[in-house]
Parts: sequence; C-alpha cells; structure tokens
Amino acid sequence: MINSLFVINRHGKIIVEKHWRGIISRQIVDVFNDESAKFMKLPPGTLERSDISSNQEAFFTKEDVPPVLESNKYWLLNVLRDDLTWLCPVEKEVDPMLVFEFIHRIIDVVTDYLGDVSEASIRENFVTVYQLLEEMMDYGYPLTTEPNALKEIIMPPTIINKVMTTVNAAAGVTPKFPQNMSNIPWRKAGVKYTQNEIYFDIVEEIDATVEANGNVVSCEAHGTVVANSRLSGMPDLSLSFINPRLIDDESFHPCVRIRKWESDRLLSFVPPDGHFKLMSYRVALSPYQAMPLQIKPQILPTKNGGKFDITVHPRSTDGKPIEAIVLSIPMSKSTTSVNATCNVGNYMYDPITKTVKWEISKLQQRERAPMLSGTFSSSDAQPDMGLTVDVDFKISMYSVSGIKVDSLRLFHEGYKPYKGVRSMTKAGKFHVRT
Amino acid sequence: MSDAKYFQRGKTQELRAELNSDKRDPKHLRKKTVMKKIVANMTMGNDMSPLFPDILNVMNVSILEIKKMVYLYLINYARSKPDMAMMAITMFIKDVEDPNPLIRALAIRTMGYIQVEKIVDCLIEPLRRCLKDRDPYVRKTAAICVVKLYMYNNVLVESEHFIDMLRDLLSDPNPTVIANAVAALTEISERSENIQLKLNHSIASKLAAALNECSEWGQTYVLEALMYYLPQEQGDAEMLAERIAPRLQHANSAVVLTCVKVMMYLMNYMKNESDITSFCRKLSPPLVTLLANEPEVQYVALRNILLVIQRRPEVLRNDMKVFFCKYDDPIYVKLAKLEIIFRLANSGNVDQVLSELKEYATEVDVDFVRKAVRSIGRLAVKIESAAERCITALLDLIHTKVNYVVQEAIVVIRDIFRKYPNQYESIIGTLCENLDNLDEPEAKSAMIWIVGQYADRIENADELLDDFLYTFLDEPVEVQLALLTATVKLFIKRPLAGQELVPKVLKWATEETANPDLRDRGYIYWRLLSTDPTSAKAIVLSDKPSISTESDNLDVNFLDELLLHISSLASVYHKSPTTFIHHYKPRFLMPSPALQQGSQPQLHLATTSIQAQSEQSVNDHSNVAVNRLSFTGPNPANPYATDFQSIQPTTPGASNGVGVDLLL
Repeated sequence: MINSLFVINRHGKIIVEKHWRGIISRQIVDVFNDESAKFMKLPPGTLERSDISSNQEAFFTKEDVPPVLESNKYWLLNVLRDDLTWLCPVEKEVDPMLVFEFIHRIIDVVTDYLGDVSEASIRENFVTVYQLLEEMMDYGYPLTTEPNALKEIIMPPTIINKVMTTVNAAAGVTPKFPQNMSNIPWRKAGVKYTQNEIYFDIVEEIDATVEANGNVVSCEAHGTVVANSRLSGMPDLSLSFINPRLIDDESFHPCVRIRKWESDRLLSFVPPDGHFKLMSYRVALSPYQAMPLQIKPQILPTKNGGKFDITVHPRSTDGKPIEAIVLSIPMSKSTTSVNATCNVGNYMYDPITKTVKWEISKLQQRERAPMLSGTFSSSDAQPDMGLTVDVDFKISMYSVSGIKVDSLRLFHEGYKPYKGVRSMTKAGKFHVRT
Repeated sequence: MSDAKYFQRGKTQELRAELNSDKRDPKHLRKKTVMKKIVANMTMGNDMSPLFPDILNVMNVSILEIKKMVYLYLINYARSKPDMAMMAITMFIKDVEDPNPLIRALAIRTMGYIQVEKIVDCLIEPLRRCLKDRDPYVRKTAAICVVKLYMYNNVLVESEHFIDMLRDLLSDPNPTVIANAVAALTEISERSENIQLKLNHSIASKLAAALNECSEWGQTYVLEALMYYLPQEQGDAEMLAERIAPRLQHANSAVVLTCVKVMMYLMNYMKNESDITSFCRKLSPPLVTLLANEPEVQYVALRNILLVIQRRPEVLRNDMKVFFCKYDDPIYVKLAKLEIIFRLANSGNVDQVLSELKEYATEVDVDFVRKAVRSIGRLAVKIESAAERCITALLDLIHTKVNYVVQEAIVVIRDIFRKYPNQYESIIGTLCENLDNLDEPEAKSAMIWIVGQYADRIENADELLDDFLYTFLDEPVEVQLALLTATVKLFIKRPLAGQELVPKVLKWATEETANPDLRDRGYIYWRLLSTDPTSAKAIVLSDKPSISTESDNLDVNFLDELLLHISSLASVYHKSPTTFIHHYKPRFLMPSPALQQGSQPQLHLATTSIQAQSEQSVNDHSNVAVNRLSFTGPNPANPYATDFQSIQPTTPGASNGVGVDLLL
C-alpha cells in the first residue's frame, strides 16, 4: 500500500509531503533526484547495459525517466505532470497500477478544486490540498476519491464557500454527513434544480500513423462521452446509441450497470451530479474512409539543405469544415534557416525547437488543396531525415466513428429534462512520417 | 484569502499567545486561523511540538474542520511526546462515542495512527465497539484500524479476536465494509507468519457479489483477495471468472489489471480448452484499452502484457498494430512495446512488423534504434520464411554507415549465420567493408567470429585478423577470446595463412594475460594442436548446436509464479518477489482436483475455509522458496536489461557448461 506522497517542484524541492503510514525521511527526495539525474546522464545507447557510467551532459529528459526507479531501500514510483513530480516511495510489494491510478486521481481532484495544478496554486490553497490528501486515503488505502463525495466533506476554495464556511461555523453546524456509504457512492442526496438539464459531449480523438506515401500504418479512434448532469433527485437514465455495435472496447464510470450494457447495449445509470466521464470507448477505423485529412509530405535533401513540399487534402467529413489545423513539421537539428510559402493559412519557423508550424484556421472541402513549400539550409552536409509530422485539427458536430445517440429516457422522476448532445472529432496522436 | 500567508514562519510563542488569547472568539474563527498556521508550519518541517499542551485545549472545540487539524497535529507529534499524548485519551474516548458517525470514525482512525502504548491499550475496547457500530462508515474505518494495530502489535490483535471480527464483517450488508475487511485480512495474511487467508467457495461467491456494489478501490481489494480462492471442482473457476469478467470494463486501470490477474489465475483450474479460449478473447480488448492511458499506466500494462502473452499466446494475437510506437512515446514505453511486437510477430504479419522496425531503425533515439535493429535480427532467427527479407533490411541499414546501427547489425547477423549456415555468406564482403569503425566489444567479437568461421571463404582473413590482433593486449577479454578462437580456426582451415599468427596469439594468451579463462583456453588449443591435429580439427570445427529464440522465453515455472503477481513490482521487473522483498510470502499455484497440467503441485494444504490458523504452513513454504530462488530473473538494476539478452546460451564464446563448447 502507499506509504507517503511527496510533491516536488522542478528544482527538486518538496512542496507537499504527506505520510499515511509512518514517516519516510525527506532525504528520499534527494535520492530520487540523484537517481533520475543519474538516469538522464546515461549516454545514449547504453540503456540496455548496466555497466556504463558517465558524467557527460544529460541526454535524456525528465519525461524519459522510468515511472519506477529502484534505490537501495525503496522503489520510487513517480509521475511527472506539468513540472511537478508526484513521488511515492514504497518499501514493500505494491500494485503499481493502483499507485499510479491514485496519483492521477489526486491530480484530477486537485485540478477540479483549484482550476489548475501548479506550485503556485498548491501553495495558495495549501490547507485544502492537505485536507483532500487526508480524506482521499487512510493508512495507504484509497478512501474517498469521487469528486462529488469529496465536495460534501471539503468545500472548494471559492469566495462563496469561504463565506458559507464562516456562516456554518457561526451556527455551529458541521458539514453534512457524507452519503458515500449508500449503494450509489457517486451521487449525493437531495440535489435540486429549478431547470433540469443534462448535456452529453461525445469527443473522439483519432490516433493514426501514416506513411509518407499515404499508407495508413495504424488508425483508431478513442472516444469519450462526457456528461454534465443538472438533474434533481435520483434520476435513473437509460441512453441508447443508434449503432452500438461499432464499439470495439469500452470502459465505464462506476455508475453504469455493466450487465445491462452486455445484454441490451443500453447505458443504464444514475448519474453523479455535475461533470463526469460516463464512458470511454475505442473504435478501429477503416483507414481510407475515416481519415478526414490526407497529408502528403515530401522532403528532398540536397547538399547542406533541401526542399520540402506538404499538401493537405481534405476528405469527406459530412460537409463539416475542418478547423484549427496545425501541422508541426520538425526539421533536422542542424537546420540553420527555413524559407517557405503557403497558399492558405500562415506558417512560422521556430529556430530554437527547429520546428515549422503551419496553421490553417478553417478548411472546407472542394477548396484548393493547401500547400506549404520551401527550402531549408543546414550546417550538416547530410541533414538527418526520418522525422515525423504532428497534425492537429478538430471537426465540430462530427463523429468519425459514426456513433450517434438514439434516445435518452428518464425513470424515477416526474420532470422532463432538457437534453443535449454534441459531437466533436479531434486529432489525437495523428502522425505522418516523412 | 489564500493559504499562502500561513506559510510565514511563525514563532511558537506568538502562535501560543494567539491560541490562548482571551479575546472573544465565539465562532472559533481565530482558532481556526491559528491551527491552519500551525499545520502549515508543521508540514514545512518546523518543530511545532512545544505547542502540545495548548493544542490539547483546542480538542474540545467541536467544529469538524478544527478537529481534523488537531488530529493531524496529534498524529504528527504524539510519538515524540507520549506523555502528552496520554492527556488526549479522555478526549478520544469521548469523541469515539460522539453521536456524529463522522466524528466517531475520525477518532478511531486517528487513535490507530498514534502508536503509543498507553493509547493502544485504550484503543481496544472502542475499536471492538466500532467494528460493530451501527453506521457502516465507522465499521469500514475500524476495519482498516485493525491493520494499523496489527502492525504495532500482532499478538494483541490475535489474542483480542480482532481477526474473527474482521471475518464476521465479510458478511456485512454494506459492500464497502466488506471490501475494507477483505483488504485488512489480505494485508494481515501477507505479513503474518501464522495466518493464511483461504476463501472457500461460498465466501468467494459472496465477495464476487459484493464486487458490483463497492467502490473502485474496494473492487481491487476484493479481486486481490480472490487470489486466495482455490477452485476445487470442475466448473468452479469458470463460474467465478464469468462473474468477475465485467470488471474488465472498469474505467480504473488498477481494477482492470487485477481482474486480468485473477482470470489468468483461474484459467489454471479450467479444463475445457474452449472456455479458456473464450476467456482469453475477453482479455484482449481491455488490455489494449489500458494503452490509451498515461505513459506510467502504459508502462505497467506493457510489462504485464509481455507475461500474459507468453503464457496464453491467443491473447492479443491479432492486435499487434496497437503496439506500434508513436514517435513521442517515452523511451521506456517504446522499448517495452518493441518486446511485445517481437513476441506477436509471426509468418502472417512479419512484413508489417519488418517495415515498422525499419522505420524505427531510422529514428534519432539511439537506444530505440539499437533495439529495433536487434529485433530485425531476432526476427530472422525466429521466422525462417522472413530471414531473407530481414537480411536485406539489415544490409540496407549497414549502408547508412551510421556507426551504432552497423555494429548492432553485425552482432545479429552473426546469429543469423549460425541459425542458417551456408545460406547468406554472400554478404560477408559487405560486412568486411565496415571493419574499421567497430569499437564496441560485442560487435568486434561478432565480426571476428564471422571472419574465423568463414576463414576459408574470406581471402584476406589472415590480414583482417592481423589487423585486429594489433591491439590484442588492450582488448577486453570477450574480444580476446574471440580472436584466439578465430585465429586457431584460420590455422586449421588454412594452415599456411595462419601459421604466423597462431604462435603469436597462443603466446600472448598463455603468458601475457592475467585472465584465467583466456589462459586456459590458450593452453587447451596449444596442446590440442601440438599433440593431435586431427581431433583438434574435429573439435574446433565441430557443428554448433542450432540456436532459436526459444531461450528468450521465461522458464515455465518462473512465468507461472510471475503471473500470480500480475500488477505488482515483480511483474514490472520480471523478478521473483521473494528475491527483493523482505519477509515476502511466496505464492504458488496450489494443487486441487481442478488444477490442470502446467505447473506442478508444490505442496498440499487441504483446508478450505477462511480461518486464522496456527499451523506451520509457512515453514512448509520455506524450502520451496529456496528452490524458487534459482529461477531469479535478470538483473534488476536496470529495468531495460530484462529479457533482452542476446541469444543464449549458444552464443559463440559463451560457456554453456560443457567443456567442449568452449572451443567454438
């Protein structure tokens, strides 16, 4: 089980320290900093050997440090998010999946409470963070991690709540007893809205790897159904899709009755209050019909430089425009300058990261295919090739998998809620090799 | 109002004055602010213990938020001030009977943390009451408190019958209470010398029923506990697996992977192949879905997948593509994926695999590129029909002249030559063009082996060897051994070409080096050549045992042991937990009438009800544990070093225990 948690800033200093089972000395953080520095300084190409040590400049970055590091006495399970490292040293056998899930959950909850997770926001709301950590775990066992249940015990630090706490304190009222021991731990009792409404956002991200010649190496969509529920009482909902058979694999919020899904492909659930992720799913896409964009990069190296051409061909998206297209084209590390023109959008070359960023705000079908072409020069006679173009875009009101909601029915409550569904397709890890 | 101001270093006198201030504070607002300051100081590591007596006065304020901070303080300092802690007891006793269940739970929870003898004594009665409290929130908190007490004083927990009380909680109407009781029992059983958790069929079914209703973390505890259920009859395992299968759809990846563990375990007790196949089919999609998570989760998943597919090859058989690497995956994810791609490769998909590997071999990440090149070579050894395409790919890579790529390629080409003698020697010329740039011992010895092995086809073999010999005395032993053997081979195959080199090398090896292996080998060659040249030829040029990638597989028993530890550090490092965790209770596949062939029954323990028993079962384990130690996995110091050694034990130069094999 989890002993302790340290939150460390980018300089290796402790911001939060929490122990649930006996105290682990703060020195463990130094050990961690040393171990990860040691790792980052390994010369490239030596990861699979253990006999080489060196003092050269760091080659690996913090992102490359393995999530489990070994030290003399402890195993250092660590998660790096936005400059903060969340470190759990463990001494005994432990389920690392549980530790990582729990750390992610803490990060999510803190983000939910504070708006963002950073050294500044944690310091600003230190007592809240501390209370959360205390409430989320007892003696190394995760306790209450549902945001809805937590909010009943610990008020988010907003101005209104500050006032509320003061008033409550004045009246000598202790917070309500948490309802998380009921059979639906995710929903609090006595929720009331004058206007009952529930919204669903279906967001699909396309992960694809495409070769330079347009061959699709792999391609799938990861979808999530996020809901915002503002319904009174204990509504029991039943959501059906027009075409649920499209889904290859799915996972659900604990509120979903899995048996019902297995037998009738119906999402039957009592929703938590507020925002929550109802389900996520995976759909294998047939590459040629599903790709909303086809991107053809061409890079021709010449001596000390080269030429490049990239064209973007929009494909069928049910007539919906493709928006916010951003192509990040990494150039070789030896690049000294880039000169290019594009017929649509605008481009920028960042000499520090050696990346060309080409942005197209909106693309309709039947327009002229956007093209970016140019030359680059390099300090190397033979600049290295084989870099990967990263593509970003989004398409509103479109779901690439074809998933559509059929109906939403409500039981147990008398009112008629307002219902809304929005779809959106985005690029996930959409990579084009050159 | 932000909390940052509480971080100002507060002087204890000032804080004390504020705490004891006589000013009217009917809403305890001032006290709350001071407490916040104290807690903030405490977490900064400033010593706040002098305030103990003053804090005790605050204990009677019945505002939950203040109470929580006071308790936090007590947990922190009670151990260093046991006398002071005593004074808190009356307050605890009062709180533990508070009408508000939240306060009762909080009090019992805090008392469990304060492991001071006197407090522990006073904890027993309240704990007993809380375990039977009318409110489930208190009961579930009390269950965890038993573990705390157990860590402090296990004898006490047993003599006061707390274990029995936990067992009774398994029949609690509330699923969360059941889950916590199970978690407590599991942990106690793992730490205990004389308590062994065993679930019988009816308790296992009861737990499986509670699964649907308890929290996600509760589900991981319950699933974990099901590992202590031993199916007795045909159909038991199938039924339980069927009941827990919906957990594979859970959003929490810890629940999913623990469920995979239980299902893999239960499959050992299933007879019908078609049942096993159908459960295997259920495992694939959720394992793929784990890969859509953050990189840390992916890493743990990948390391475990590697184990699962070795035991049940039908899992993920058709999902190879999902393991293709993204260029921005962290290096540890890429390397772990590459292992799996190699395992899933077969003659049907080898073209796809090969074109991916070629792509990876041109990336910028050196470690990744090396492993990709190496995988191409291993692919050739694994799949004969693809060998030619692999060789072509390797030659293309050698033409890039990227130094580390060339060296890596030469190492694997040696293995290909060994696997398929007399088929691909035409490429030797190309290899020889790259001799000058070799600077890694492994690549050098590989190349030297090739030169020696084909001394009769490489016209200038003597010149090439002579070049290498130039630095003989400075080389690492591995290269020296290769040079010695290669020179002797040259001499036997082409005595004229080798006659000048051999005496020189034998002299160096026997007289000028300190390494006993090298010296011994030198002497053996010397005597062989001088006494019986015919048998020297028969021995040195004998056929070598053929190689395969089979030796990459983990030992079957070791694999079975690791599979009992899916989703643990052991499964991430592929290392038996008994080798790196103190006082670890080893796990085995227990014999039962339903156990299928595969793992041998290790010992017989027939009891099937869950019970706290004092029999010496653990001592029975100990000698088995010693046997198991011999199956330790690869060196854990480097997580990447695991199971990707070159093809052992038949690599030239590597000793495999038989004297003659030294003379390759």
